[in-house]
Amino acid sequence: MSLDIKDLSFRYSKRAPLVLDNVSFSLNKGEIGVVLGKNGSGKTTLFKNVLGLVKPTGGSISFDGKDLSKVSRRERAGYIAYVPQNVEFGALSVFDTVLMGRMPYFGLRSGKEDEEKTYSVLNEMGLTDLASRNVEELSGGERQKAAIARAFAQEPELMVFDEPTGNLDIANEQLILNEAKRIAGEKGIGILTSLHDLNQALAIGDRFFFLKNGKLLHSGGKDIISKELIKEVFDADVSIIDHEGKMIVVNC
Amino acid sequence: MGDRSALLKDKHKKTAAIVILIVITVVLGFVCLFVGSSNMSLSECIYALFGNGSSAQIRIIRNIRIPRVLAAIIAGAGLSAAGLIMQTNLNNPMASPSTLGVSNAAVFGANLSIIAFAGGFLSTGNNLKNYTTGFNPYAASLMAFIFSTLSIILILGLCRLKSFRPGVVVLAGIAVGSLWTAATTILQFYATDVGLSAAVIWTFGDLGRATYKTDIIMALVIVAGIIFFMVMSWRFNALLSGEPAAKSLGVNVNRLRFVSMLLASLITAVCVSYLGMIGFVGIICPHVVKKLLGQDHRFTIPASVFAGSILLLLADTVSRSIGNGSALPVGAITSLLGAPFFLIIILFRKGDKA
Repeated sequence: MSLDIKDLSFRYSKRAPLVLDNVSFSLNKGEIGVVLGKNGSGKTTLFKNVLGLVKPTGGSISFDGKDLSKVSRRERAGYIAYVPQNVEFGALSVFDTVLMGRMPYFGLRSGKEDEEKTYSVLNEMGLTDLASRNVEELSGGERQKAAIARAFAQEPELMVFDEPTGNLDIANEQLILNEAKRIAGEKGIGILTSLHDLNQALAIGDRFFFLKNGKLLHSGGKDIISKELIKEVFDADVSIIDHEGKMIVVNC
Repeated sequence: MGDRSALLKDKHKKTAAIVILIVITVVLGFVCLFVGSSNMSLSECIYALFGNGSSAQIRIIRNIRIPRVLAAIIAGAGLSAAGLIMQTNLNNPMASPSTLGVSNAAVFGANLSIIAFAGGFLSTGNNLKNYTTGFNPYAASLMAFIFSTLSIILILGLCRLKSFRPGVVVLAGIAVGSLWTAATTILQFYATDVGLSAAVIWTFGDLGRATYKTDIIMALVIVAGIIFFMVMSWRFNALLSGEPAAKSLGVNVNRLRFVSMLLASLITAVCVSYLGMIGFVGIICPHVVKKLLGQDHRFTIPASVFAGSILLLLADTVSRSIGNGSALPVGAITSLLGAPFFLIIILFRKGDKA
């Protein structure tokens, strides 16, 4: 087990209702976990807790048995990287943006090693030709790739993607998800993500976590997904069809 | 890997820009030594600089012009760097060194000293000599500094309780600033006409108040601040990606914001306390630099530092040249010179590197 969440509860302020209610699950290294649920079900809050942007109200989050509430922000950054939903960077070159991912290692000034690592990540992501470009001048898809490259440069064991495809067209969506999946698989990095599109989720996910009103209703592999489960979680009527061995979810 | 050379070229270009700014600062610094109201010729100035010439000439160069030029370089650098850091910290292009209301507090402190306690201050080029020279010349500056520091502690303390979220800090700054302004207005309402004019004249920025002593104090605070900002360059870069991304890159965002806003505000406090209000340097210079060089703080911090020095040197020289014996308020000249240049940059470099 790498990421282990136990009885996680969270509320934004003392009298506010629980946004996360006793959520427990774990994710192995190299696995892709997809969190699914309606808007407001607690997906983003769950990610904020995992990333340490907020303090859990109850329960614990640990990584390789180490309680994350007890490690420094910098040490946590060595385990978990974040690819934000709306990527913003500031006017830096793509190279410097990706080099930023090395910050947990170099602290104040980057070294030769960090630069070499950055070049190799740029190469893997096919961004070498864009290295000297201002990252703000890139297209949405390229910026998303730069954000993912920065996360890989961080050499994390887990990457958190908050709705990574929100701002992308279909072609870019698939390209980026497949890239991320391939590289994460090669490096044995786990990915925790949320996706709106159930078919995308089915295409890339290994494990699925269904949230409703802050509670984890179901979790497991593809086999748990059924018409009834989707009705329960999303209040939506769908059919699931088999297309060349792949599960496809369609609206009724 | 063809892009490695492009990257290197870009770095060299930015480094060259900084070197050019340094050279301009030094050259302009010397040129400014030779401009003034005493009608000394260039050769007389140079002789006096090396200790030859009449004692009056030596005194003018050594005790008036050198401290004044140094003050322009130091304060320009400090205000510009402080402005850049406030803009990054608060993720707000309108942020300036005095966003936390520091200047308003300093003005209140100085007004209190001048109006209520008839405290003195150093000044050049006004008709209030009897008012400004009779008492401790540092009284107004001291009070200004005490009040601006109090204000910084108040506002950062309040924000620490709640949060350092940019929105909260900016609004708290506006609120606290307006409190000081209100207090100043009431104070001025009860002032005598001489006291009032002295207080208003104090508020106009005036580099003529600088002495070696004040230059050294300003330099200590400003150099410490700039070194800290430079060391934290990467963290400020990370902050450009937003708070959540910066935190997940290992940056302790709250601590960074607290310490850097404290230093930026202290820089502003010493500058305003000793020299009066010098507006716009802290907004214009960082923006021009960002337009031309991008937002990498490893380059924008040093570039802003020297751009600030250059603007203030230029403004002070212009204010002394056209003031006909008495220097015009330098704060007004920084805007007069800077604003058109600034407008040209923002209007005509659109679509270029942001």
